[in-house]
Order: sequence, then C-alpha cells, then structure tokens
Amino acid sequence: MIYPGFLISCVLFALASPAPEAPKPVDLTVHAEYLHVAPGEVVRNALIQIQEGKIASVLPGRSAPDGALSVHSIMAGMIDASARVTPGLVAVEQSKEVITNLSVTDSLDFFNPAWDRLARTGVTTALIAPPDYNVVGGFSVVVKTSGPKRVEARVVNGASILRGAIGDLPSAGNSPAFGRPTNFYARRPTTRMGVEWEWRKAFFDAAQSARFPDAEFEGADVLRACLAGDVRIFIQAWTTADIRTAVYLDEEMQAEGYGDLDIVIDAGAEAWKEPAFLVRTGTPVVLPPFPATGRLGERAFMPWDTGRKLIDLGIMIALSAHGETGLKERLSAQAGYAIRGGLTFDEALACVTTTPARLLGVEKQVGTVKSGMDADLVLWNGAPFSATSNIVGVVASGEVVLTPR
Amino acid sequence: MNISSITRLTAALALTSAVAFGGDSHAIKVGKVITMAGEPIENGIVLIESGRITAVGPASEIQIPWDAEVFEAPNLVAFPGQVEACTSQGMDRANESIDVAPFLNVVDSVDPVNFFYEEMLRAGITTLNVQQGNSTVIAGRGMIVKPSGMTVAAMTVRPEAGIKIAITPKRGKSRAVQLMILREAFAGLRRTLEGLVQEANDGNDHARREALAQGRDFEAEDGKGRAMTGSGWIVEGLEAVPRASIDSKILPLLAIVEGRISVYMACSTPMDVLHGLEIAKENGFLAQTVLLLGPTCWKVSDEIKAAGVRGVILSSTLEHTERAPFAEEDTVTVLPTHFAEKGIPFALASQNSTTESLWFQAARCVALGVDREVALAAITSGPAEVIGLSSEVGTIEKGKHGNLVLLSGDPLSLQTQVRYVFIEGELTYDRTTDTRLQHLMDGVQPEGTSADEPVVEDIHEEERTAGDK
Repeated sequence: MIYPGFLISCVLFALASPAPEAPKPVDLTVHAEYLHVAPGEVVRNALIQIQEGKIASVLPGRSAPDGALSVHSIMAGMIDASARVTPGLVAVEQSKEVITNLSVTDSLDFFNPAWDRLARTGVTTALIAPPDYNVVGGFSVVVKTSGPKRVEARVVNGASILRGAIGDLPSAGNSPAFGRPTNFYARRPTTRMGVEWEWRKAFFDAAQSARFPDAEFEGADVLRACLAGDVRIFIQAWTTADIRTAVYLDEEMQAEGYGDLDIVIDAGAEAWKEPAFLVRTGTPVVLPPFPATGRLGERAFMPWDTGRKLIDLGIMIALSAHGETGLKERLSAQAGYAIRGGLTFDEALACVTTTPARLLGVEKQVGTVKSGMDADLVLWNGAPFSATSNIVGVVASGEVVLTPR
Repeated sequence: MNISSITRLTAALALTSAVAFGGDSHAIKVGKVITMAGEPIENGIVLIESGRITAVGPASEIQIPWDAEVFEAPNLVAFPGQVEACTSQGMDRANESIDVAPFLNVVDSVDPVNFFYEEMLRAGITTLNVQQGNSTVIAGRGMIVKPSGMTVAAMTVRPEAGIKIAITPKRGKSRAVQLMILREAFAGLRRTLEGLVQEANDGNDHARREALAQGRDFEAEDGKGRAMTGSGWIVEGLEAVPRASIDSKILPLLAIVEGRISVYMACSTPMDVLHGLEIAKENGFLAQTVLLLGPTCWKVSDEIKAAGVRGVILSSTLEHTERAPFAEEDTVTVLPTHFAEKGIPFALASQNSTTESLWFQAARCVALGVDREVALAAITSGPAEVIGLSSEVGTIEKGKHGNLVLLSGDPLSLQTQVRYVFIEGELTYDRTTDTRLQHLMDGVQPEGTSADEPVVEDIHEEERTAGDK
C-alpha cells in the first residue's frame, strides 16, 4: 500500500537533494560492483541508500563503506505474475461459474512459510490469483512476499485484475451430484465447450445489462468494467486452442461493439504455435516454468526458445515460476533458462522485473532500482541468472530477508 | 598447402587409408582445448588413433598425419567427455527383489535404446558407471559403458566394474535387518570357503563334482586353486580348492573380499557411513570402496578420510543447511568445498535431466563458491578417479580414450551448447541432426511424427478458372 503522503515526501526529498534541510538517517546501505538499475542500464560500483523501505539514492562510482553489504551484482526484486501461493481449493468459490465480486485477498494466509521461501528466492512482489476451478474465479491481488503479516501492509495498489481460465481446469470434476444435467442453464461447465460458453455468456449478459436495466445481475458491473478496458483479465490458457479462444473472445466483443477486453494470457505455454493471434490483439503472455522435457500442464508443449520467438514478434512476455522455490525451478532459474533459449540478459531481466510490473500496473513502485522505488533488491555473487552465480541476499522493502554470508 | 586442401586430400584418401592401414586416424582441430590436465590450449589439435589420443597440443606444434580425417571447428571448445560416476538408470529396472544378488549382472539389464543414454550423450557425458539401485543389500555386478552402440557389448567399457552395497535399508527393512543380512552374507562366504577347504583336505570332492555336473569350466586359471588374498580376513588353504569349484553365486563376494571388484556403498545418513566403513574394513574392501553420500554425511568426513576409501559421490544437494533447535543461526555446509578441503576425492552426480546434468551441478558448485577448476574436475577427472578409470578417461591426454565434447563456449555457461561428441575418436553426436533436441529447444516437430494438414482437393477449381476466363 502506498501512503500518498509518504510518496510525496519521497518525491520532495529527491527534488530537494543534494542539500536536504534535515537529512533522515539512512536505514541500510548496500553496495554492488554492478547495479542493474533497469534492463539495459548498469551502474558500476553503486552505493544504494535505503530509507523507510524506499530507495533514497543510488550513487555511482563509490566504494563500499565499512560494514555495508557489498556484493558482485544487484538487480531489482523480481515479480512473479503467476505466483500461486494460495490456500488451495478452499479459495475456490463453488456457487457460481463466474465469480466477479470476490477477491482472493480474503483467502491469503500470510503465516504460510511459503511466503518466506518465495522472498528468499528473490521474488519480492507477486500476483496471487484464485485457483482456476472457476471459469472466472474473482479478483487477483498484487502483494509483497514479505513484511508485516497483515493484508493492508502487504497489498500493493496496482491494476485491478480479474482472473479466469480456459481449458481443462474449470470443468475438471464438474458433474452433477446424480443423474445427467437436466438443464443447460443450471450446470457448471463439464466440458471445455461449456467453459468457452460461460465466458461468452458472461460478457454478453453484462453488455445487455448496460442496455436493459432489468437484465442487471450481481457482478455485472465488473464485467462491464472489463469491457470498458478498466479491469485487466488474466486468463490461464496453456494450449494454443485455449489461447485462440481467449483472443476470439476479445475480438468477438469488439465486433459486437460491446467493448475491448484487456487480456493477459497466463501460462501460455503454446503461445509460440499461433503467435499471429497474439500479435493481432497485442496480448501479453505470462510463460509457465520451462519444462525439462517440453511437456507441461494440459498436454501443452513449450520449447525453450519460446521467449525468443515471442519477443521477436513484439509480444510482451513475463516469466513465472508458479511459486516454485527449488534451486532449479525458482524464478531466477527460469530467467536463466530463457537465456539458454536465446534471450539476452536484458530481455530476461525485463521478463522478471519491468514487464511483470507493467502487467500488474505497479511499475511506478517496483521493478527498477531507482530513488523513490521500493527498496526491493536481489544480491548476487556473480552475474545474475548465470549458472555459476547464486542469490546471496535479498532485501525487501528495505528489510534484509536473506543475509549474505 | 593449406588446411582445406589437406582436408580434401585426406577425404580423398580416407577410403584408401582405412583399407590400407586398418587404423582410423582422426585430427580434431578446435579454437581451444580444455584438457583438464594442465592449462587450456588455444588453437589446439587432438590426434586420435584407433580410439586413443596420440597427441594434444597447439596447432603450431602438432603434425597432422597424412592419413588423418580432419575435423575442423575453429569456434568450438574441446572438453573431456564427462564421467557419470554412478547411475541406476538406463536399465530394464534398477532393483532386484532379492537381498543378496551379486551373481547377477547388469549386462542383462542395460537397455541400449533407452532414451537415458541419448540424453546423457546430448549432455556430453561419454562414460557411465551403471550400477543397480539402492533398494537392495548386495546388488548385481554393474558395468561401465559409453552411451553409444546398439548392443550392450558395443557399449561396454569395463564389464563387472563394481557392486552396489546398500547400508541404508531397502524399503520395508530396518537398519538392524539390513546390516544383519549384509554381515551374514560375508560370514556365510567365510563358512562356505572354510567348508570347501575342509572337504578338500578330507579328500572329498563334492564341490568339484557338483561344478562339473553344472558344466563349469575347469580350464586354465579356473581349474587351479589359488591362495586367498585380501586385507580383511583370509581362509587358509584355499589354494587346495579350484576356483571353478566355488559356487558362482558367491564368487563375486569372494572378489569383493579379495579386493578385485569395486564397491559402491549407498549411505544416506552419517550412521550408515560408520556402519559401512566398519563392514568394509572387516571384510577388507575399504580401499576399493566408493561412498554414495546423502546430504548430511559430511558430518563423518574425518572418519571417511581416515578410512581411506577410494572416493565419494555427492548427491545433487550441494549445500546442506541445518538449523539448531534453539539457535537462530543456520549452519550451512557447502559439500564440494568440504570434501575438497578434507582431501577426499569426490564426484558430482547428475539427476539425468536437461536442467540437472553434470555440467549444471558443476556450475552450481561454482555458484556456491567452489573453485572453478575443482568443479570442472568433479565432472571429469574426479569421477574417472572415483570409478578407477583415471588412466582411460576424464582428461584429454595422450594415451586416454578419444572421448571429447565440442562446446560452443564455456562449459559452465547456460548459453553453451554441446555441438559434437566424439567417443573413442568416432563422431557420435551431432547437434544439427538431433531432432529430439530441436523439438525441445526450437519447437521443430520431428519429420513424420505428426499428421500433415489434410490436402483437400478443390473439385470446383476447373469451374472457377473457367469463369475467370
């Protein structure tokens, strides 16, 4: 949560430097031989001063003062746009297929040690979504992975992001308690066709409710906001068929004159297969973790050069580890794998910092190491993402959550 | 005469020379040779004849024989074929259902067309020690293979190269039962041998007659008796018993006690290590024992060092973190550093997947602060030493097998590709023809593995074209 007053004071401080009237004490000083301020922007021998959880200043060409943390490389805390730290199925609202008036915020458990593990892998900001057992499962929320164990302290104000899914999951296990479904309108989707139908029905109904007040229903306002482009929709779509469905949904709404959806494809493993759809609509993709064998969820196949192919076509991509924290699965490893698949270092860095920040609408607060931004830093003992480097320290909102040894 | 004309000439002569001399001579000319036996050589040449390296050095000093087939790759880096010190993959199945089975041999279990070997080759691993799994007490005899060849015979580098002994109990057993079975196996061997000596001394010939009835060969060495050797225990008078008359079910155990076969001992905890070392000492096979260690076993590294085992193989957990119950501080032990400091030869082991192969383990070591040379040795010369094959593989040196990998760059970089693999001088892997890798890395579906879009005949084509006119 940004406190506006605080933000203003930071800005004022930045404007007032180098001669502030009463300099506040620096809480933490960190030094790096190479500071990756933002993709493509390196500062040598940088000294980063942190005050009240924010970066107060970045001073180039300095040597490490005594007692300061000093490492080879520093980059911004990473952002996972599909972090999947949820309490699981209890966060699934089962009464409806399309839930637009609930938020996953209420089901977050900040006492779960998974948050600490995530923070220690350098992921300091994460989008948490409801599990994909609904067609539309409710609002996702952007949170900091460490800090006080209270919602108001952890939630980051970003874009409003609704969550939904196309594919197997929303219809998985959906069968009536007994007998066959008797009524087309009174069943949860039991097939992928039903899932697609639910998506179209929801937006069609919402568009109608704008014209006919009698057709108003609970949550229609959110869907109308989606059609107006005010609410972003993250749609889980692993396979190319599902990605195509998402794009067709957007184009159908445009063709009908209902509006223009702001869609992000999550877990778009097969986005490489028919990228023309994504280019056509300018739809960004969050890629799932790279699979050793290429095979992923819902029988999708993702080759390792997927990142390279999509970036070459101008498609915006973010990488995700789906909340995995193991040495070979974590987000920093995914960036390394993307580099193995052909991305440059700066592109990979963007895929785990600035791009997800933009997708989540939090780019003014996190994703780069500049004064006024949150003091979220990943400290490396070598070049970031290299197989021969390790994350040795993590700073989140100015607090050291992993201490370099 | 420039190099390319030499190449053309040798290409022209290749057939003749192969026929005329019966030898195969290869010259591999690369931008850099990382020999793992001294400083890297810029613009190096590796000469290989009949599978063995005959010379390594800078291009300026090496004379390429006129009959050599020249492979030129000025932008690539030659690195020794990596050595997998112990794996239980690539077999029909890894474990037996019987506890003590040293009479079995993985030669009957190794599956040459298993994808595992393809995967290893792709990762630049050219020597593998295949041993049975850990769910056993004493396993069958394992072997050292290369990941090429369509038959087990063609793959074989060393048959009968070791036996797996598990100290950590197999599923469903307690440590007490596991160790009882293990001790009893050796005690039983001793009793049997003593019985045979007694019979021979008494003039009975039951064992010999039994062996003859089973059709066992009494020719040459097998027909003779030989005094027992070994540093553990010895049965006096075994020279009176022809070796062939000893039941082949226990002969491999005798080979262990006499120090003629390596032992790969699986220990998941420090207590297992101590038991294992004690049993190895009692039965005289410490010197040819290799320990497969769990992440906590560093705690008994002094005992391991003192015991003088041949080496240890680390799991993929390279860093052990432990939090004392009442202390806030973590104790972190970087295992490769720990064993290197103790002076215990060690090898890294791959988990056999694209992201966890040997080179990746070595890269992880460097990330944890291990010296680069130590990390590279732990996937080449280190495992070669641990499996007792350091005179044959693990470095690019004169006299060793011509096993080398041509890389696109630094062996520990994520961007580096394995371009070519030579095993005993033969080009065994070529990335440009690796369709499965192209599918994984570039999304190129191998030809013939998917249905084409159906071709729909345009039956109205004639009408339409007629209309156009």
